[in-house]
Amino acid sequence: MNLAQQIINGIVLGHAFALIAIGWTVLLGVARLVNFGHGQMYMLGAFITWFAMSAWGLPYLVAIPLAMSVGVGVGYLMQRTMLNLTIRQDLVSVMIVTLGFGYVIEGAAALTFGSTGQILDTPLSLMDIYIGDIWFTWQDIAIVVVTILVFIALKYVIENSPVGRRVRMVAEDPKLAQLAGINIKRVYLGVFAFEGATVALAAAMVAPRTPILTSMGFEEVIITFVVVVLGGIGSVTGSYLAGLGLGLFTAFFGAYVSSAYATAAMFVVLIAVLVLRPGGMTQKMGGH
Amino acid sequence: MTGAQSPVLEVRNLTADYNGNRALTIDHLALHEQELLGVVGANGAGKSTLVGAILNWSRGAPRVSGEVILDGEDLSRMDTPSRVKKGLLLIPESQLIFHSMSVAENLAHHASAADAAGRHVYSLDDIYDLFPNLANRRGHLGGQLSGGERQMLGIARALRLAPRVLLLDEPSIGLAPKLVLTVLRTIRQLADNGLTVLLIEQNVKAAVEVVDRMALLERGRVLAEGAAAEMRDDPRIAEAYLGGHAT
Ligand SMILES: Nc1ncnc2c1ncn2[C@@H]1O[C@H](COP(=O)(O)OP(=O)(O)O)[C@@H](O)[C@H]1O
Ligand SMILES: [Mg+2]
Repeated sequence: MNLAQQIINGIVLGHAFALIAIGWTVLLGVARLVNFGHGQMYMLGAFITWFAMSAWGLPYLVAIPLAMSVGVGVGYLMQRTMLNLTIRQDLVSVMIVTLGFGYVIEGAAALTFGSTGQILDTPLSLMDIYIGDIWFTWQDIAIVVVTILVFIALKYVIENSPVGRRVRMVAEDPKLAQLAGINIKRVYLGVFAFEGATVALAAAMVAPRTPILTSMGFEEVIITFVVVVLGGIGSVTGSYLAGLGLGLFTAFFGAYVSSAYATAAMFVVLIAVLVLRPGGMTQKMGGH
Repeated sequence: MTGAQSPVLEVRNLTADYNGNRALTIDHLALHEQELLGVVGANGAGKSTLVGAILNWSRGAPRVSGEVILDGEDLSRMDTPSRVKKGLLLIPESQLIFHSMSVAENLAHHASAADAAGRHVYSLDDIYDLFPNLANRRGHLGGQLSGGERQMLGIARALRLAPRVLLLDEPSIGLAPKLVLTVLRTIRQLADNGLTVLLIEQNVKAAVEVVDRMALLERGRVLAEGAAAEMRDDPRIAEAYLGGHAT
């Protein structure tokens, strides 16, 4: 195995992981919420992109915002349904509702798109780049670039804009935020819409790397969980670094140990982090 | 005083229950233009429940009913943020600022001209004139401030949101006596500058020096209400709060 090739794989995979997880970072940091339908929303984003391109013949650059719009709709609808649970911070019910939503999405997708595997080819994924014996595609470069841009934009908005300030106020103390005239329901809905948009974007960017199936999504949730927890709940920079670290770990583990056990290895990392992290999962966004 | 004018804030038949236990029964309470009303009473009398109910807000989960009228407009069906936008600003007890944000960021959140609807939005310059301490600490995190500075910042945050009525829940709690006076004098000054204020204060001796009127709360009810000078001589107040002489 070529070391340089594994580093490249790890970097691409790492950015892919970070992008897949970014919605959850904000979700958990702000709303103190989880979304176990996240994986199926990723799957839906991939299939919408695929369908828009293969069935409707839309260009990739149109299919992406289309998938993101559907993601916004699904995220909004999901949060709208469980808004009262959110405000009561009834985490167990939220887990079950989002899990249920995920399976409804999966069922609907299987009915609509069938349950055979598909290949999501994009103009970029078909363009190879060889440097010596290192191989990657333009899609890989796009993943890295888009992820970096999304993270920079998100960090800027959260730290410097009035919207970001509102979000941080709700994250720290939703009750006090209400006394500052902030409509916390609107913030929770916005955060879920954002989560829907970014996971669809991640799907449109990352799913071309592997065949897509309506039954996929579990691995994406686990990846997301590890990235978010490893990065420090709600920390944008932390999630980026954690995604990168996990990507490199997965690439090297897959190359030198066995790719069949990569998911199991991620679980080991996750368990270790949860047990050893001093604050556990209790830290909030902005609370560094 | 302008007793003939219609009140700025009026509360009618306001009740609050925690798990079916009545904690508040206010038949009628009114605040007039530029008036500073002190609300006093023992621990558990219902003072915090009262100001929370006025904003339909609580850290607990009381069931609230009744009418809250601001400048003739019935706010009873509005949620908390909508009442805040109308100018009801509550500075709650204990957690009253954002600890993970700097002083400057706590103050950056302000009412837009549209939300203010003609009410005065204190500028940062106004704020730093009023609270010079905050100016020196603008880069510090809220969580790094002393108790007195937190109270100042809590009040300052409210002033940035264009208040019509300011409601303060025990702003002097835990402060050194000298600081208590400073805080109460600042509140008096805000009333003189045009705000209508409801001040919850457990330090009756200090409160009676700055308020215009005072209401004594007991088991969720207004037991006595009147001008500060009269209330100072009320045996129920003198006895319980002023180390009084009544027998
Ligand atoms: N979250 C809550 N759950 C149950 N009872 C409460 C809660 N908050 C206050 N109470 C009760 O309501 C009454 C009034 O409390 P409160 O308004 O906090 O009084 P004060 O502010 O005058 O000390 C007390 O009897 C108190 O025990
Ligand atoms: Mg109280």
